[in-house]
Amino acid sequence: MKLVAKDITIIAMMIAIIEVCKIVLANVPNIELTSFFIIIFTLYMGKRILVVIPAFILIEGLMFGFSIWWVMYLYVWPILVLLTYIFRKMKSAVSFSILSGVFGLMFGFLCSWVYIFLDIKNGTSMAFAWWISGIPWDIVHGIGNFFIMLVLYHPITHVMKKLRMEKM
Amino acid sequence: MSTNKKKIIGIVAFVLVIAAMVTAFFVFRDKPVKGSKSVVISVVDADAKTTVYELKTDASFLKQAMEEAKGLTFSGTESQYGTMVDTVNGIRADYNKDKAYWSFYVNDEYCANGIETQVVNDGDKFKIVYTKAE
Repeated sequence: MKLVAKDITIIAMMIAIIEVCKIVLANVPNIELTSFFIIIFTLYMGKRILVVIPAFILIEGLMFGFSIWWVMYLYVWPILVLLTYIFRKMKSAVSFSILSGVFGLMFGFLCSWVYIFLDIKNGTSMAFAWWISGIPWDIVHGIGNFFIMLVLYHPITHVMKKLRMEKM
Repeated sequence: MSTNKKKIIGIVAFVLVIAAMVTAFFVFRDKPVKGSKSVVISVVDADAKTTVYELKTDASFLKQAMEEAKGLTFSGTESQYGTMVDTVNGIRADYNKDKAYWSFYVNDEYCANGIETQVVNDGDKFKIVYTKAE
């Protein structure tokens, strides 16, 4: 993938948007715009997302420390990109709201996988207990993701389509 | 299948996933274990006859554990130091009459606290002994 100055600028802007929204919503547990923007950028920004995700994960690690959650980030966000790519042909806000909502619901489940590899003997039961205890927050995450996508899908995709027409 | 139908199925599936997760949470979440401490309370009466009560309890203090012990009855007078137990299993220890009292032991050590403040730990062995002052 060949990147020109314009691509690098757009990538930087995408990361900045994700990070700023993340920091602004940091005090509201499990309500986030990261999933929303990763889905939108995967749909409208082409291969650039392949740079955005590793850069975003790296910046998160540099800002908040390379702890166990960072290992979870390494595969959780790429999974969202992959799911969005698979379902990219969907057209409606409701469809993407369901995708984003289900991802939010499954976030804890996906993150719990780390514990399986952390302790070969008791990892599975540890992962299960960790996932179960976080279910109330996963539900908040899922419902939050669903409504954020439902509300923002049309206005943001409208802008993205306009930018695409300008051959961004 | 029409697009609207697909959307409805999708939303229903989304709600069902939430319902399944709520169920999983209530079924598998950590629950406090009822009766997590095993304690033994032995009562040695005026005839040196010992009655043993074994129980599982969440009681923090001895008074609650004594109340939970099936078959064990006790009463006393309230004072500024807490309950002064004078009757256990119907046997009254009257210091003024017989110079007798109920003494309390925890793990064979004399209890330094009243029954309201004597802490209960897992594995504790309490002894309530009818004692006559020499």
